Amino acid sequence: MANIFPRWTNFLPIKIIVMVITIVPLLIVGATYYFTPKYTRVGYMPTQPVSYSHALHVNQLGMDCRYCHTGVEVSSHSNVPTTQTCMNCHTAIKKDSSKLAALRESWETGRPMNWVKIHKAPDYVYFNHAAHVNRGVGCASCHGQINRMEVVWHDQPQSMGWCLECHRAPHQQIRPKEEIYNLDWKAPSREAQLTMGTELVKQWNINPPQTCAACHR
Amino acid sequence: MKRVIQHPTAPSSGRTYWRSTGELLDTPEFREQLEREFPQGIAELEAGVSRRDFVKLLTASMALAGVGLTGCRRPEAHLVPFTKSPEWMIPGRHLHYSTAMPRREGALPLHATSFEGRPTKVEGNPFHTDSAGKTDIFAQASILDLYDPDRARRYLASGKPMEQTAFLAALDSAVQSWKDGSSVAVLEDGLDSPTRARLRAEVLKKFPKISWASHEPLAPGRNGTAAEIAFGEGARLVPQFGKASVVVAVDHDFLSAHESGIKAIRDFVGGRRVRKAGDQMNRLYAIEHRYTVTGGMADHRLRLPASQMGSFLAALALELSKLGVGSGLDDLAAASGQTTELAGETLEWITALAADLAAAKGSALVTVSQRQSVQCQLLAIGINHALGAMGQTLKVRQMPSTGVDTLKSLVTKISAGQIKTLVILGGNPAYTAPSDYEFAAQLASVPSVIYLGDSENETAACAHLFAPKSHYLEAWGDARSCDGSYLTAQPLILPLWSSLSDIQLLARILGIKTDDEPTLVKQSFAAITGLSVGSTDFEAAWKKCLHDGFLAGSAASPEGRAPSTGAVRAWLASNKVPAPRVAADSIEVVFSGDYSVEDGRYNNNGWLQESPDPITKLTWENAALMSATTAKKIGVKNAVVSGILTVDKIRIAVNGQSVEAPALIVPGHADYTITLPLGYGRTKTGRVGKASGFNAYPLRSSSSDYVAIGAQVSLSSSGYKLAITQEHSAMEGRAIVREASLEVFNQDPEFVNKVGIDSHAPPNVSFYKNPPLTGVHQWGMSLDLTTCTGCTACVVACQAENNIPIVGKDQVAKGREMHWIRIDRYYSGTEENAEMLVQPMTCVQCENAPCETVCPVNATVHNEEGLNVMTYNRCIGTRYCANNCPFKVRRFNYFNYSDRPTDKLYWGPLAAKDTAETTKMQRNPNVTVRMRGVMEKCTFCVQRLEAAKIDQKAKNAFTDKTEIPTDSVMTACQQACPTDAIVFGNLNDENSRVVHLKQAPHDYAVLGYLNLKPRVTYLGRIRNINAEMPGAENLVMSTMNEMHHGGAHEPHAEGVKEAGEDAIHETYKTQSNH
Repeated sequence: MANIFPRWTNFLPIKIIVMVITIVPLLIVGATYYFTPKYTRVGYMPTQPVSYSHALHVNQLGMDCRYCHTGVEVSSHSNVPTTQTCMNCHTAIKKDSSKLAALRESWETGRPMNWVKIHKAPDYVYFNHAAHVNRGVGCASCHGQINRMEVVWHDQPQSMGWCLECHRAPHQQIRPKEEIYNLDWKAPSREAQLTMGTELVKQWNINPPQTCAACHR
Repeated sequence: MKRVIQHPTAPSSGRTYWRSTGELLDTPEFREQLEREFPQGIAELEAGVSRRDFVKLLTASMALAGVGLTGCRRPEAHLVPFTKSPEWMIPGRHLHYSTAMPRREGALPLHATSFEGRPTKVEGNPFHTDSAGKTDIFAQASILDLYDPDRARRYLASGKPMEQTAFLAALDSAVQSWKDGSSVAVLEDGLDSPTRARLRAEVLKKFPKISWASHEPLAPGRNGTAAEIAFGEGARLVPQFGKASVVVAVDHDFLSAHESGIKAIRDFVGGRRVRKAGDQMNRLYAIEHRYTVTGGMADHRLRLPASQMGSFLAALALELSKLGVGSGLDDLAAASGQTTELAGETLEWITALAADLAAAKGSALVTVSQRQSVQCQLLAIGINHALGAMGQTLKVRQMPSTGVDTLKSLVTKISAGQIKTLVILGGNPAYTAPSDYEFAAQLASVPSVIYLGDSENETAACAHLFAPKSHYLEAWGDARSCDGSYLTAQPLILPLWSSLSDIQLLARILGIKTDDEPTLVKQSFAAITGLSVGSTDFEAAWKKCLHDGFLAGSAASPEGRAPSTGAVRAWLASNKVPAPRVAADSIEVVFSGDYSVEDGRYNNNGWLQESPDPITKLTWENAALMSATTAKKIGVKNAVVSGILTVDKIRIAVNGQSVEAPALIVPGHADYTITLPLGYGRTKTGRVGKASGFNAYPLRSSSSDYVAIGAQVSLSSSGYKLAITQEHSAMEGRAIVREASLEVFNQDPEFVNKVGIDSHAPPNVSFYKNPPLTGVHQWGMSLDLTTCTGCTACVVACQAENNIPIVGKDQVAKGREMHWIRIDRYYSGTEENAEMLVQPMTCVQCENAPCETVCPVNATVHNEEGLNVMTYNRCIGTRYCANNCPFKVRRFNYFNYSDRPTDKLYWGPLAAKDTAETTKMQRNPNVTVRMRGVMEKCTFCVQRLEAAKIDQKAKNAFTDKTEIPTDSVMTACQQACPTDAIVFGNLNDENSRVVHLKQAPHDYAVLGYLNLKPRVTYLGRIRNINAEMPGAENLVMSTMNEMHHGGAHEPHAEGVKEAGEDAIHETYKTQSNH
């Protein structure tokens, strides 16, 4: 009786096993790298309607974050400035600059600026700025050193796991209240951060929630 | 071994509580329904779909999902700031503005919540006593009306759309030809305001011969007529419920939202808060033809046909006179000519009532519905006077004369052809006018009808010129509250559809440009305060008034006055109307306002349509209500078929008209009386109100606008399905609700622990070791069953706050309503003289939550503050949690209720998403809008809790003071509750009200023996039973003997163990052996 299976099938099971062993880890590694916010979000740097430079305004001119992002201490949103805020200065400074044409048009027509959103929490996440900046989390912890950015990019993954890292161990990120809006501040050493962080967590009774309803409702 | 709890199969509290006739009689249909979570055919797959087919479909959809995934791109989102920074506004934070909702009985002072210029919710104004921060169902639902896509949004000329400018030009040219106004009439609704009154006076000055009439279908104002007879021109009665120790409500549903102001409800309920033995409690007697919210609250209730109230009052007057109360009451009763041929037991009831009233002389109050006859009103005034109520529990307030005529005189003028132009300001008279006026036909005979209306309704169809009327949240205005305070109503948003308000229209008639809107109100304010517009004093006063919402010190001060008994007697003697006979061959029909849609004005409001009637639990329509005896006589049957209540339809003919209506048998209804709720069966309404219910207005004539006698009733068809929520989520007699008389409570304040299985079960022990609850705040709630009226305001407030969708009649009938709170209504006693009690039931936030242990994906978990939280984006929709919830408070999105049209749910994605852009504007931005396949439930308004905590942290930045101030956060239901029956707070804060309430002796947990440790507990209901009343011994637990074992738990004699008890003891034995 002739063989049902041809001879080459003898090696088929081994081939399959070898393929599975190589492909599956590749898929896993690929997915964990390419499908996570670390890859999909970090580095996102869209072109804005006006090429506003944080580096110029914050670093060179020394403006405080809160001059424009006025609501950050009291509201869930850290608002982007109204056209009026920009025009407070730009009616006098660089008032004819071609780079500011879009801004002037907005001011004249009343049509708002369309800034491209970079940091976007999903609809079911209710992040609150006020809860963080009033409790020792600095701007730079989540947004990176915006004051060094000519064009703003997405600096941190801002995934749920990333949020929880800090919520589980806040002492690693907490900074003194004077340094919240100082984007250049860094603890002198890792040990110093941990000592100071532990002290501040105790002093301010910081107990970040780790249950769902803190952010999802 | 697994702990198996055998629930008692028979009630063990000694009394039977039932929710429907089916449950009382324990029909097989009812039993079958109990076994199922949802009605038949709803939880199963369609016939013909095999498991194999299902898997095929599943695979195909997975494959399609793969196709979809490849199309993923990061969408570009934008941040769009304002160009100019608006004052006060901080993106992400809401603002509160004071305003007022115009109402028939007096405007309600409100605080409206606005998110970035978008009003999303209204709350009561806490600084004014007429609201004290509380609202009712209509105020809560009014926000949805603002965004109703079916609201009038265009100007019409004989049905053809036109521009606003064209309308105003047409109006101007019409006014040019008015001359002295002799051929012009104005018909306004009953929502009067100081500015309207001022402009009315000016219009009447300019056109002195205008006929000016007012029409409000459910407010005939006969109490006012009677007050004027007794106290002189302009007198109005103001009951002082807070001062009354005995209240007799004669057919007066004063505890419902549309009958009296919120203050009356609060005042009354304030006299019923019993917290410890020895506390005082007022007593309420209700005499009514059908169950109302007031009847449900009553300590003693008498069912009596509505047309017999005159006889009742005359008999009461006679009895009081026999007891020597006052003088001349017997003359008054005789003068009224009311026969006192009441049944023997009714007379006994009256005798006992009279004795109680006489004993409470000086603090007794008899109150009568304004829809009852003037005879009844006058008899009540006489009785109140004799009881020494004047100046104590009843005061008189002087009102200025408006000089406005009745609809009747207007109709006479139209019939005589005297009216060439009719201006209608609001209302919907073509739908609501008495049928004998044939108002629609009358309108057709007027050459020019100009109508300012909320929607393109029945009246708009008769109008030659139609203008859309602004919602109260988009127009400047002012109003008088119930107590006469001057309220300002400021707009929260520009008119969505460039509509006009009533005062803008009147101003235009006077030639004032309409963009001057605030000035119109400012001038009225100036006239009232005596300041001149523009002066610094004026600006300061005006700003303060706008900010506060009311002018301090502007409330009327009612006084005690003696009625002119001579005038009362004379009027009664010359207007003798004997009480009609109500019997099987002379059936009485009563027209009542509806608890959901009022007189029809809220017909297109989905929240109100879907909110169950507090008594019948009927949604989406009305039904002819009758007692079982009446139903038997007519041959009407109600049956539960496949889990859905199926009823017969009847044809009711009276006043030469007839309507067909589904007949619903309700307990506690007077015999040979049929109640017809008004407001449904609209022919021209929006997509929500379309085809809901039947229209009872055609039966209602001007002479019988409340009661009609001699109706011919016949069966017409059968098999009509009603969407009733009363039997959904039923819980068999497990002492869910607990009540006792005040006497029992005083003897044994902890009576709640001695009823039902809780009196047997040993103390709860838990094998689970729960993680410690470490939060600074531990949230808890206490619900007082003594003060809850069942008004349903909390249900709608929750809906507004938490973006809860409506599901439509079909889905409600299947038990899929989405309300996070339901109000369970129980009856006890016999079907004829049933007693009623209500219990709000929401997620009780168990510390040992059964739902959490069965969730396969941890979508429902506990947080550190004791909340049982629900994570929508994690839920995969297994519904295990709902199955394991003993309280049945979890709700599942079977369809995409938030987006799809309710009549095309089964089309799935084939039906276009039809949520109007305006409806989306109402949604609370801090709460996720849930989609299909997601479980949801009460979260204790976690968004409010988080906001309060974060605000506290922001306020005390960089400190350790994170605990919020005592009772500074409220859940939406608590904030709305007009009787303060819901109290919420932090259990860790010993000053919190909720902590005090939970220490009350009659605090109990529902199903306490399951050791679920619920955070929501109840205060047992206490009724102030008068032991002298006939049949008092059968009411509630009025004697200690009737209570289970008379107090402390004692061992039973052999063989008298209660059902379920064996199982409990057995279970514990097994556990201890373990």
